[in-house]
Amino acid sequence: MENKELVLENTLVQALQEGFTRLEATVKRKARVEAKIDKDILPSLLLFAKEKLGYNHLSHIGCVDWIEDGLFEIVYILWHPTEKINLLIKASTERENAIMPNIDYIWRQANTYEREMREMFGIEFPGLVGRKDFILEDWQDIPPMRRDFDTEKYVNEHFFNRPGREDAKDVREQVAKRSGEDIPEFAKKYSRK
Amino acid sequence: MREETTTLYLGPQHPGITGNMMVKLQVRGDTVEKAETHIGYLHRGFEKLMERRNWLQSFTIVCRICVPEPDPNEENYARGVEEIEGREVPERAKYIRVMVLELARLASYMLWYGGQAGSAGLYTMGQWSVGDRNYILDLFEELTGGRVYHMYIWPGGVRRDLPEGFGDKVLKTMDYLEKRLDEYDRLLFDNSIFQKRAQGVGIIDPKKAIEWGVVGPPLRGCGIPSDVRKDDPYEVYDKLDFEVPNIDGNSDVWARALVRRQEMRESIKIVRQVIEKMPSGEYYNKIPNPLKWSIPKGDAYVKTESARGEFAYYMVSDGSDKPRRVHVKGPAYVHGITLLENLLVGENIADVSFIMNSLGTCPPEMER
Repeated sequence: MENKELVLENTLVQALQEGFTRLEATVKRKARVEAKIDKDILPSLLLFAKEKLGYNHLSHIGCVDWIEDGLFEIVYILWHPTEKINLLIKASTERENAIMPNIDYIWRQANTYEREMREMFGIEFPGLVGRKDFILEDWQDIPPMRRDFDTEKYVNEHFFNRPGREDAKDVREQVAKRSGEDIPEFAKKYSRK
Repeated sequence: MREETTTLYLGPQHPGITGNMMVKLQVRGDTVEKAETHIGYLHRGFEKLMERRNWLQSFTIVCRICVPEPDPNEENYARGVEEIEGREVPERAKYIRVMVLELARLASYMLWYGGQAGSAGLYTMGQWSVGDRNYILDLFEELTGGRVYHMYIWPGGVRRDLPEGFGDKVLKTMDYLEKRLDEYDRLLFDNSIFQKRAQGVGIIDPKKAIEWGVVGPPLRGCGIPSDVRKDDPYEVYDKLDFEVPNIDGNSDVWARALVRRQEMRESIKIVRQVIEKMPSGEYYNKIPNPLKWSIPKGDAYVKTESARGEFAYYMVSDGSDKPRRVHVKGPAYVHGITLLENLLVGENIADVSFIMNSLGTCPPEMER
């Protein structure tokens, strides 16, 4: 029964695996198919999906920082307008000197996503045209969406407390102090001290 | 005669701009030769904040990503968490969610009426529609406690059940709004100023629209009846009877306005069905202690049809008590940047904010 329902999804997985040998594809659920591929073959896979399979709508490009593995995982989400399937294509790159192929010649809106990832994660896209400053301005620190960017340290270095609010840094501590009640054991790990 | 272009900065403080953003225009006379969207005036770092907050704390901030229509964010977030965790949602909660989403769509379209008409100089329309929008906000206030931000649709269901007699109030409001829509037609769509301003302006090439990433009313205005509620049904939309507007128009501002006009009537139809079909029973599948609540490792791509188009979340969990990554993609990320920059070329300066309103450009979802 389930296989019958997922006919289009399974056909897509088969088509992908026939076209690309070094590719892992799975059906996640109805209307969601996932494929993992090496970043060097990524542009050819995207072109294949767009031109041969009809996935001509680029919905989304997202980046996840897997700092413990030293990798950035980038997911390209495509949509088939008639078969109504989202194809999630995942590719990884090393965190150090991160570099990914530029694909804004395939979909022009990819330019925006790539500019954001260049700024927020520090991933280079050779051949990417567009202003370097996208959201941030005169940013000197490490790219802020990386997991090792310490937001609290940055705030302490760049901003000052409003006079009279020095004691209000940790709401949990303050409530405990004013009410005279102890912080419950399970909540202590969320306190800043 | 000297031929030269002038740089014109439209925004970030400008009544015609849809929020805190700026469009840098190169103009020759009053014709736009080049447009460039500049954002960064509203970056609040929600995605980064969510990495430092637990799953329930993150839920309280997602609604802030969109002011005119916060509920698709809540619904996306809740459904994403449920999908990764495999949590069941009671049937009644799904119906309540659809009701809230459709009321939010109506409220958002009424704000759009004000913006679209206001940017053509027709201010009465905005005063009417924003005034009537308050009746929907009253309903939200009674249901959720908040008029604009609701924090109501959360993982596992909704935060509280419908108050007594709430369904009747909703139905009465729908009857009132339906009558008002006829008057809106007379005031805006029968108005020759609006017709002349909207027809033939901001035309999107229908053959390229899907490839360019256009979604929502602008795509339906190109004669492509694409709607997440039909294409990838969520909650209980597959059990409801409604139509997706198929406008055989010119893909211009006028076509997009007609799409929204028709969709308001469809939303009223959906709300009535939901009230009629709403089952009784539980409205919430209780989550464990939120401070100890971890979500299994996995990812989910969820999307909702918001008033401006497909609103999507890509959510990743690493098995801990905090999200690894929540990537938000609102329709304006494409509509307000690559699409707008290309559409404005060759248009008149006076039509810039008019076209922006028709695309539903919304800076908070561009920079999150």
